[in-house]
Amino acid sequence: MAKKFLFVYRDSTSAPNQGMPSPDQMQELMARWGAWIEKFMKAGQMVDPGDALHATGKVLRAKGVVTDGPFVEAKELLGGYSVIQCDTYEQALAIAKECPAHHDGSSIEIRELAGLAG
Amino acid sequence: MSGITQLTEHTFRHEYGRLVANLSRRFSIRLLDDIEDAVQSALLKAMHTWPRQGLPPDPSAWLHRAASNLLIDKLRRQRTWNKIEKDLQYQHAETQPEANSVTDHRMDDQLRMLFVSCHPSLGTEAQITFALKTLCGFSVPEIAHALLTSQASIQKRLTRAKETLRSESLNPDDVTEAELVERLPAVQTILYLLFNEGYNSHHPEALIRMDLCEEAVRLTQFLIQHTPTSTPDSQALFALMLLHAGRLQTRINAAGSLVLLDEQDRSEWDWSLIRTGYHWLERAAVGNIISKYHLEAAIAAEHCRALSFAETKWNVIEQCYALLYTMEPTAVHALNRAIALAYLHGPQAGISWLNKSYPDGAPAGYHHWPAAVGELHRRKGDNVTAIKYFEQALSMSPPPAEKAFLEMRKQQCFTGTD
Repeated sequence: MAKKFLFVYRDSTSAPNQGMPSPDQMQELMARWGAWIEKFMKAGQMVDPGDALHATGKVLRAKGVVTDGPFVEAKELLGGYSVIQCDTYEQALAIAKECPAHHDGSSIEIRELAGLAG
Repeated sequence: MSGITQLTEHTFRHEYGRLVANLSRRFSIRLLDDIEDAVQSALLKAMHTWPRQGLPPDPSAWLHRAASNLLIDKLRRQRTWNKIEKDLQYQHAETQPEANSVTDHRMDDQLRMLFVSCHPSLGTEAQITFALKTLCGFSVPEIAHALLTSQASIQKRLTRAKETLRSESLNPDDVTEAELVERLPAVQTILYLLFNEGYNSHHPEALIRMDLCEEAVRLTQFLIQHTPTSTPDSQALFALMLLHAGRLQTRINAAGSLVLLDEQDRSEWDWSLIRTGYHWLERAAVGNIISKYHLEAAIAAEHCRALSFAETKWNVIEQCYALLYTMEPTAVHALNRAIALAYLHGPQAGISWLNKSYPDGAPAGYHHWPAAVGELHRRKGDNVTAIKYFEQALSMSPPPAEKAFLEMRKQQCFTGTD
């Protein structure tokens, strides 16, 4: 029975700021993401490769208060997401371990989609 | 699906250089910081988008559009856009398919940018650093790493260079053909130095060296692809780089130690580079001016032509060095001439010439000098004197690869082996 998992990439804000990667480093990183996505697309396990998120945005709070966010106090910033389809958490974990985000020091939160995965 | 693997190595770096040159010409060099940010952000966008949506049909055009739009958005936010639009009589770029124009035009942007980088009011170090940053797309940490200096000092050089260019308001578009010709020798010198930085790098990592050499070759290509700058000496400079680059891989062995020419495996040389080098050297052999690039390329070609070290035509090489020494009486030329003389007429001929040209001995801090003199004495069979010179060279803190080599030679003198 296939389940769907949301991968949420979080970049640690406390990590020493490396600044912007160089063009060479970006190309190298892009190649690694490309290979990872392609591999699990072919395996039929990549439902949606997702996207990266801009570092800042707006937060709408209860009572209609809009603030700039997310807050820097957050230990980790939301960096992006993907949707994976496989049978178990273990398999999802194995896929996440191959993800470039994992090798670049980001954490990957893995959460099963509750109701609509069937 | 993504097709990302189709991209050649360093595509991003070279696109960076191309885009910065193009936008600097279309907008203004005064906006260089904003331009670099926009190009950086466009590459970042590609990095996130392309693996997920596949490579666009024309990656260059995609990046060009993204960078232009990001730049214009930023300028609008800064409220500088209207002013610039008036200043530059600038037509809206969003819909302009600039990137579909002929390649030659893009090439031209980079050639102009190269001449901007080599502006006489910047010092040599600043010129090289600025070119590596804006034209070659190296980051500050990468430049610091390649040139063995601190990030802070690279940053300082860049800031100063940008201030100078801003105050002089040197737009790539303002570089006239007359200036191209007038400034050509300075540009050639910078490219030559950049290549040497890679070729004689004191860097422990061979990769970095290759990178700098490749960039020097790439930038020199701009010179030989444009009529006003494709002079015989530009072509000779290009030939010289290729003839050296073709042999670069065999200069350092797996252990990171220097491999001398007589011990290099000639079958490992990159013969397609060398053949292209021959071609350009032949093309450069016109007119009645012989430049130092011609002579150095001729020497490199002679080494490539010899099927083995034993077949090297030292008489030709010695004549070239003699001419170079007449043109520029430097220690480097004197030393190389001595080595050629030693191969022609025995080690003593080399030693005598060195004593004659530099009676006071080695120029300060030039460790190659005592290393070579030691080697000549060793070949003469005078191990005691040779050891003295090798120790002198070792005391001048040579780079690791050469240090290992000198230690080995010293040891050979002690044991009397070859």
